Amino acid sequence: MEILIISKYFVVIALIIMMFAALRVGAYRNTSNALLGSSVAVVAFAVALLFIGEINYIEFFRDISVALILFGFVGTVVFAITMGGDN
Amino acid sequence: MYIEYIQSILLIISAILIIIAAIGIVTLNNNKKNVFYSRIHIVGVFDMAVILAMLAIGQFILAIIYFILAPFTAHAIGYAFFKSEDGFNNPDLEKTDDEDEEIESPFVHSKEEIQELEQSTVFVDDSSDSGFSVATLDLKERE
Repeated sequence: MEILIISKYFVVIALIIMMFAALRVGAYRNTSNALLGSSVAVVAFAVALLFIGEINYIEFFRDISVALILFGFVGTVVFAITMGGDN
Repeated sequence: MYIEYIQSILLIISAILIIIAAIGIVTLNNNKKNVFYSRIHIVGVFDMAVILAMLAIGQFILAIIYFILAPFTAHAIGYAFFKSEDGFNNPDLEKTDDEDEEIESPFVHSKEEIQELEQSTVFVDDSSDSGFSVATLDLKERE
């Protein structure tokens, strides 16, 4: 029982590290790097939210993470098309 | 009891993969060519680690949805980079850069080009004034 909660916290810490790394990548000069970094940061935040909801038994965190993943995907693809990927 | 151990092992593996991806995505050398595609590759590792973590905690539908959506995201970002900012691999961007430079400096010419213009003899035809064209109308008087 304990090792499962500890491993969940370990994943949350790893996701927070990944979020900071994605923010660092998003601060580069290229627009594509910013798009990639923001996409990864949103996914990491959504999955961290999912794990926090699992740990603390909060149901609606799962709905928020599903919405973040789906709309993050839509926003990323739309921005990529706007950048010139549709030509 | 054993299921919890399996879940814990999967979560620890995914956490280690996420940390490795985070270290790799920051420490890539920006001066190398095609480094952005390497970064997309590392994000693919992160995506699969996240899917593994979702499977470990029992979120199967979310894992399947993200398993379908993640390659579309990676491809969209990579294609947008190729079309808009990848001057090394995309020859169209190199051409547009040259045209932009020519448009930016219309009054600056190279020394060799000006010397060629000075040495060239311009043929002038004195017999007819080719600079003008006269349009004539044929008018017929009524009889």
